[in-house]
Amino acid sequence: MSDLVQQAPALSATRPARRFRLPWDWASQLASMVVLALGALIMLLPFIWMLTTSLSRKANQSMPRIPSFWPSDPSLFNYQVAAGSLPIGQYYLNSLVVVGLTTAGYLFFSAIAGYAFAKGRFPGKSLLFIVFLSTLFIPFETRMIPLYHQMAALGLTNTYWALILPFLAGGFGTFLMRQAISSIPDELIEAARIDGATEFRIFWQIVLPLCAPTLATLGILNIIWRWNDVLWPLLVTSDRNLYTVTQGLALAGRSSGIKVGVALATAVMAILPVIIAYLFLQRYVIRSVVSSGVKG
Amino acid sequence: MEPKSSANRSGFGSRLTRLRRTLVWYSFILPPLLLILTFIGYPTLQTFRQSFFTRGMGNAETFAGLEHYGRLLTNQIFWGALGNTVLLGVAFLGIVIPLAAALASLLNRVKRGSAPLKVIYFLPQLTSSVAVALMFNYVFQPDWGLLNGGLRALGVTEVPLWLADPRLSFTGSRAAATLLAVWAGLGYFIIVILAGLQSIPRDIYDAAALDGANGLQTWWHITLPSLRPTFIFLIMTGTVDALARFGDLWTLGGPGGAPARSLQSVVMFMFQQGFESGDVSLAAAAAVVFFIIVLAVTAVSFWAFLGREFRAVR
Repeated sequence: MSDLVQQAPALSATRPARRFRLPWDWASQLASMVVLALGALIMLLPFIWMLTTSLSRKANQSMPRIPSFWPSDPSLFNYQVAAGSLPIGQYYLNSLVVVGLTTAGYLFFSAIAGYAFAKGRFPGKSLLFIVFLSTLFIPFETRMIPLYHQMAALGLTNTYWALILPFLAGGFGTFLMRQAISSIPDELIEAARIDGATEFRIFWQIVLPLCAPTLATLGILNIIWRWNDVLWPLLVTSDRNLYTVTQGLALAGRSSGIKVGVALATAVMAILPVIIAYLFLQRYVIRSVVSSGVKG
Repeated sequence: MEPKSSANRSGFGSRLTRLRRTLVWYSFILPPLLLILTFIGYPTLQTFRQSFFTRGMGNAETFAGLEHYGRLLTNQIFWGALGNTVLLGVAFLGIVIPLAAALASLLNRVKRGSAPLKVIYFLPQLTSSVAVALMFNYVFQPDWGLLNGGLRALGVTEVPLWLADPRLSFTGSRAAATLLAVWAGLGYFIIVILAGLQSIPRDIYDAAALDGANGLQTWWHITLPSLRPTFIFLIMTGTVDALARFGDLWTLGGPGGAPARSLQSVVMFMFQQGFESGDVSLAAAAAVVFFIIVLAVTAVSFWAFLGREFRAVR
């Protein structure tokens, strides 16, 4: 839509003077489409190959030397084997609990600190803000080993806590929420204050609904980060019943490399729900990634 | 709680109200601040401390000075891992940025169909690096993998070994790991460059068209320079991500980066030293070096980026 609106005036402006250019335009449009479609095909082929191979029982014994995109023996056999040998339902439950709680906590703590930094007046505000911001420059990998020992000392390894606690607050979310809340007019908050609302109530009932788009952006990014993380779960959980989907997939992939069909069925079960969710939410997901400029 | 009028009348009451208001803000900051100090600040300081100490029997620690840094900098495996990380990062960014710029430019000029194409190119980005690596482990399988099968179908008889070949070559394990990363990361780079393209004001193009510039000239002299901030941003964040690479390489080759450590990254080195060999001090020294490199990259790109923008303003 916006493309059309942007291009329309330029097109009409050039058309009278350069009518002879139109076939060339048409040809270059076609060439662009062909290149882009070929690229898209390359992006899709591995997914399609994985899906069709996962449906082939024979793939566990021998694979065709020329790849086939339709199995001669389509069945759900590999899925039955994969679901029988891996507690994939449990992995999903673990991922949902961990991703859900970290995201809820991260949004809440980012928003409430962001509110204080945007609208609060208290001594030491800029110093505290610098403390929050400085965490942006500390990569997780720098602190992972002492963090692991800390979790072990607290007796939290092999618990959900170890997967949740380190990711509840951070500089990035606080910064993003402060920016969003700064743009809310002071008069709105002052009016609520005069009506006798407490600061928390103002935060909960006025500020949070007004920055819903930023919360959605931050939430989507955090879900992608936490869902895909494998380094930290590998360190703090060795109990199979606590594996996340990504971790379970990584360990299954490393141990059962021979049974191709089963391994790919496992991968499909780990990827497919995320892709389906993405197809419904793609507009918001892409917007989130672009607007914050942060990679998932 | 107190009626407002009385607070306004007496000086003490109003000071109490102001104090309470200030305390409310602290109560908002305190829980996240404690979480950050406990789970980010404390372990980061511990990393620095551990790199200067040696842990002996029963948690007794002795000061070691720069001993662990000396061991680190003479450790061939560390240099190998650092070399791999830099090589893989440079190769990835060197391929993905021009490719994404070209595809984004095409996407920006096609009049229809760009929405579904964007979704398709972005698809791998949603798939965890672990799942991508698992899938590509089979795509690169020499005997029956998708890639070699495709090459055979095209008539190539001498097919490469890809992930089974640890040598430094365009068809070895590092090349395979780079192709995998490009496939997985392309969509993100396209989307960000596309956003940059769409923020270039149209009247610059109209002016260029009036001056008689052709499409390619316009692209080279107007589009690419206008994308400079986008490219700097992508190189900066892309470098930091490349330095921290772990999930896909671990899935392909374990913490040792098989075959023959050709895929071991710095983070995998830290992981292996700290958890498999139990050499926490060496891992901590590596973590400090890693931290300094990431900080330097961030600082240089901030400086390059902001320096240019400030000059432009002046």
